Amino acid sequence: MVEIVAQAVINGLLIGGIYALVSIGVTLIFGVVKIVNFAQGEFVMLGMYLSYFLATRLGVDPIVSLVVTMPVLFVAGVLIQHFLIRRVLGQNDLPQIFLTFALSLLIVNVSLMAFTANYRTVHTAYSDEALHFAGLYVPVAKLIAFAVAMALSGVLWAFLQATDLGKAMRAASQNREVAQLMGINPNRVFAVALGIALALAGAAGSLLMPFYSAYPMVGQVFVLMAFVAVVLGTLGNVVGALIASLLMGVAESLGIQFIGADSGLIVVFMLLLATLALRPRGLAAGVQR
Amino acid sequence: MAIPVRLGVAAAGTIVAAVLPLVVKSPFALDVLIRILLFAFIGTAWNLLGGYAKQFSLGHAAFFGLGAYTSTLLQIDLNVSPWIGMLAGGVVAAIASLPIGWLCFRLRGPYFTIATIATAQVLMLVFLKLRDFAWGAEGTTIPNLGNAPLMMQFEGKAAYYYVTLGLLVVALGITAWIERSRIGYYLVALGEEQDAAEAIGINVPQVKRRIFMISAFLTAMAGTFYVQYIYFIDPQTVFNFSVSIEAALVSIVGGVGLLFGPLVGAVLLETTSALLQSQLGSIAGVQLTVYSLILMAVILWRPTGILGYVGELVARRRAKRPER
Repeated sequence: MVEIVAQAVINGLLIGGIYALVSIGVTLIFGVVKIVNFAQGEFVMLGMYLSYFLATRLGVDPIVSLVVTMPVLFVAGVLIQHFLIRRVLGQNDLPQIFLTFALSLLIVNVSLMAFTANYRTVHTAYSDEALHFAGLYVPVAKLIAFAVAMALSGVLWAFLQATDLGKAMRAASQNREVAQLMGINPNRVFAVALGIALALAGAAGSLLMPFYSAYPMVGQVFVLMAFVAVVLGTLGNVVGALIASLLMGVAESLGIQFIGADSGLIVVFMLLLATLALRPRGLAAGVQR
Repeated sequence: MAIPVRLGVAAAGTIVAAVLPLVVKSPFALDVLIRILLFAFIGTAWNLLGGYAKQFSLGHAAFFGLGAYTSTLLQIDLNVSPWIGMLAGGVVAAIASLPIGWLCFRLRGPYFTIATIATAQVLMLVFLKLRDFAWGAEGTTIPNLGNAPLMMQFEGKAAYYYVTLGLLVVALGITAWIERSRIGYYLVALGEEQDAAEAIGINVPQVKRRIFMISAFLTAMAGTFYVQYIYFIDPQTVFNFSVSIEAALVSIVGGVGLLFGPLVGAVLLETTSALLQSQLGSIAGVQLTVYSLILMAVILWRPTGILGYVGELVARRRAKRPER
């Protein structure tokens, strides 16, 4: 019994590291640009396909392909901010919600036409490897993914704390007007925020590829998980999103183990609704604008 | 638009719509017309909550599915006519909207939207699991009784067309009445600025709750009609996310918070979808790709929707005309 729980906790923590990359992106965009990016999961999906094609066509290891997916998605983020999101900032909720929602629909359905609905997998030398200790089982691919995800989160945290640009981003998220008065160019800061958020999503895609299948709708799981984690971890808070994501991974894993849900999704939704029911004040304080 | 003008447009439109099946005989064309009216109806229901109160739901499939399941269960298990089942489904959906609203209205803006997505998905997953009570994932076919108007089954598509037309006229009537009633002004006020509406003494939670109930009731009626029309029900069909998406899309493209907005949007989107299907066949992803491009274009260039833009043009022309 203890072993089953421990195993479920380990599985949950490992996948929670990936959720964290997606959640940090969502919370960064929400904190700095003040919009919710409904398309964040789709950039994970694009990262996965990019890694898949690099692996199958050029033989690049999916984890090594991070060095391609992250810059490509960074540029995509800057362009999306410049050509799309910038145009709806300061308007009411409708364009802000439905612009990124339309983007999400567009990316999913174009991918469906381009890549078909087939599941794509990449088999690496370490895909089947696992570490064993004390009766527990730790898949190597997931361990690497977790370690890299944590390292990237750490780098981002250091960037936000120590660099001028990072400080400017935190300033812009705390008070846009004052930040502008201090000479911070909001458009530049927003573009960097989008770029970083999408680069993290792309990294999540690459890290997933050795042990997860790519298909056009794969982003849904990750974005919904991220939304819940971001609400739980207080909107706009990077460290909060990280911790909440790890907890969500564990909760999902325990849910699958003990409730026997076929998909983790029902557990996620239940968590979201339970959060809304049980902690409305804490949430409302973060959400109301 | 002035009230008499609008009434005239409505009357003329109803007459044209009523005689249309006398001219249009092809089943394909009638099917497209039925889909236009059905989604105009669902969009009109969505518009009450999303357009006037600015609570953007992407979970209306929850009510569509509840309506469909209520009437189908009543019909198959108890042999109750879907006409009664349709109203029963509306009641079930309206009651369900209370706990759903209790949860979702705690959040504002985009997070309200996310919560509504989650509730519809949870309901779908629940119905996928309900094997003993409601056929689980396989769903069931609805027994075909031939021409049985009392059981909402007809030979030929024209009768189905008139049912959807009737539903749409009812929903437009309710919307027009709400627009001019006290609750209509409350809705617009809370849609503009929730805190300010509260400050001037509007009971915001109550207004939201009531409009959500009406919106859910109407959406559920559409669910009953739809499964009677296709003779089949399963969770993936009636709780499908695309139902929620289309409900919102027809309203946004046509013009949110405008009486005829969803109808205009439904005409454009369903016609586009039918043309795509007849030209390209059903390739997975084409329809939603085009829908998402239309949605994006509307948001970036005409955020008030097609009808909203027409209204602006008319207003501009009026303004140019010299004072009488």
